[in-house]
Amino acid sequence: MKIKNILIANRGEIAVRIMKTAGKMGISNTVIKTAAEPSAMYLSLADNVFDDTESVSEIPVFLDIDRLIHIANETGADAIHPGYGFLAENPYFAQKCLDNKIIFIGPSPDSIYKMGNKTIARKIALANNIPMASGSKGQIPTEKDAIIVARSIGYPVIIKASSGGGGRGMRIVRKEEDMPKMFRLASNEADKAFSDPSVFIEKYIENPKHIEFQILGDKFGNIIHLGERECSVQRKHQKLLEEAPSSALDSKLRDEMGKIAIKISSAVGYYSAGTVEFLLDSKGSFYFMEMNTRIQVEHPVTELITGTDLIEQQISIAEGKKLKLVQEDIKLAGWAIECRINAEDVQAGFSPAPGKIEQIIMPEGDNIRVDSGVKTGSVIAANFDSMIAKLIVKGKDRKEALKNCKHALDKVWIKGTKTTLPFFRMLIRNERFLNGTITTSFIENELDNYHVNSEYEELLAAWMATWLFVDENLDESNLKIDAEEAKNLSPWLLNKRISRH
Amino acid sequence: MAQKKKLYALTGKKKYSFNLPLTETIKIGKRHYKIMIKEDEKHGTYILWKNRRYPVEIIQSRQNKFEILFNYVSYSFTIETPFSLKRKRYLDNARGKIETEKIQAPMPGKIIEVLVREGTEISRGEPLLILEAMKMQNEINCPHSGVVTSVNVKNEMNVMKDDVMIEIKIAK
Repeated sequence: MKIKNILIANRGEIAVRIMKTAGKMGISNTVIKTAAEPSAMYLSLADNVFDDTESVSEIPVFLDIDRLIHIANETGADAIHPGYGFLAENPYFAQKCLDNKIIFIGPSPDSIYKMGNKTIARKIALANNIPMASGSKGQIPTEKDAIIVARSIGYPVIIKASSGGGGRGMRIVRKEEDMPKMFRLASNEADKAFSDPSVFIEKYIENPKHIEFQILGDKFGNIIHLGERECSVQRKHQKLLEEAPSSALDSKLRDEMGKIAIKISSAVGYYSAGTVEFLLDSKGSFYFMEMNTRIQVEHPVTELITGTDLIEQQISIAEGKKLKLVQEDIKLAGWAIECRINAEDVQAGFSPAPGKIEQIIMPEGDNIRVDSGVKTGSVIAANFDSMIAKLIVKGKDRKEALKNCKHALDKVWIKGTKTTLPFFRMLIRNERFLNGTITTSFIENELDNYHVNSEYEELLAAWMATWLFVDENLDESNLKIDAEEAKNLSPWLLNKRISRH
Repeated sequence: MAQKKKLYALTGKKKYSFNLPLTETIKIGKRHYKIMIKEDEKHGTYILWKNRRYPVEIIQSRQNKFEILFNYVSYSFTIETPFSLKRKRYLDNARGKIETEKIQAPMPGKIIEVLVREGTEISRGEPLLILEAMKMQNEINCPHSGVVTSVNVKNEMNVMKDDVMIEIKIAK
């Protein structure tokens, strides 16, 4: 069935991204204007805007299933694209769409449910001989059970939330005495984040690389993979930079892992775009971690090296069309790198730094793609994620991609908020990153500094601070008074000042 | 007695010194380089240095304390005159004898659980409290062994970045 009007149940850069492809396919789009960001960029690019700014609901509209169905009906949308985050991996939402004869641009509710529940996903993987880290058979109800299970598989272990994702509700435990505390922390965090405190335990793979495979499947059982992405640059399980392909894979290993990715996808009758995540250890053994049943933030790196449009594929699969691509059509050409430029304070533990973007100038060029939902004057609201832009750079090989990335980063101009740019400028000069051998523990264990350190830039900043001081205070005569006062200041007065602190 | 007029920009243990009157040149080695503060609509305020634009923002400016975002990296400076520097050194020395450590919130968040009380003896690396920030629960550990002298937060309380949460008297 041909889709005519897609309701985009999302915001920011992914809303813009979906619009672009929909427009190319001759499909109109509808977006939702919220009170939290009534002048967001995605609104100005949309065909139709549903005004939800008057809504008094306490739940954000992008998380409100009934409201979204209502809006789709109201605006005549015959399909919903959920983007990523929000309701993208909520099986009830997908089901509600089906029930209301709205096409959900994503996999079946059943696939989402099975892969979304990590203990069920583990069971399916086990039944299909998918390589996996050894772990608990099901959920772990108490600290005592956790200790028993951890003893049987051996430390270190990792506690994970059953309904988890995005790194929340995860804790690494290295010795038994830490188990009760870590169990509580993981379970509390899981409860807060997913309203489900249940957790399970796996053997912790030390210093792995994060390798994920992009897959595409249609409703006729055809499934292919589009190669891998490496996302080892992550902090607290949050990805910061992704590349495709990975320097850790040769064509033999790629083939082997790709087949396993297809196998687990087939086991749940998967259709649409999806991502199968693996951990790869230093010996070349790999372990299935989880499957993400949505389009991912880092999908552009795969698009750049395979020449496919993943959103277009999602839409045409949702329309019930057969995949035109077969595995042999997929050729990986070149190298792509994505930097997630977020409004975050790298020097304060990557804490969100919301604010107004006073100026933004992103680089342009044949090897550069920018996916962004902000422009000069946009506000990065505290309510939503802190993404400013994804800078995606291509080269004929990794070396050239890195070089292009370094130049592109130097050309980015963003004023108004702190950003993750100092982190990327440091990373792109780091030996270990440049030689492609880093693992997921690199950021937290091997870096002393999360930002670029330049002595002469500090000197320039010092000059600037001094210039401001002079501008505000001087009047050199003030200085003189200050000097006189200092000379006459008695130790007694000094002590009094100390005690006041 | 004409002392050469100077200003110092202090950050951490580093000291940058500038002669007064302040000029739009910086001396590196034997060469002088031109430095200029400029502004236009497209870029906002920036510094022009060796033919390159560097974005610059003033995050904070309070008396002689400045936080400058230069090329996306934040730097904090205290500006001192030769005399005020001498005074500051004296004050710092006197203050140093007290040897308390203030545990400040590294980022804004919510206190999930305070694990110590006033008077708790604590060793380096032990957890003091659990702070939830960005939907992650983080343990804040004790940087030095000592005794807890003051607890300024309680469970469920929200804290801002740099709020002093706990104070510790460092053991000798």
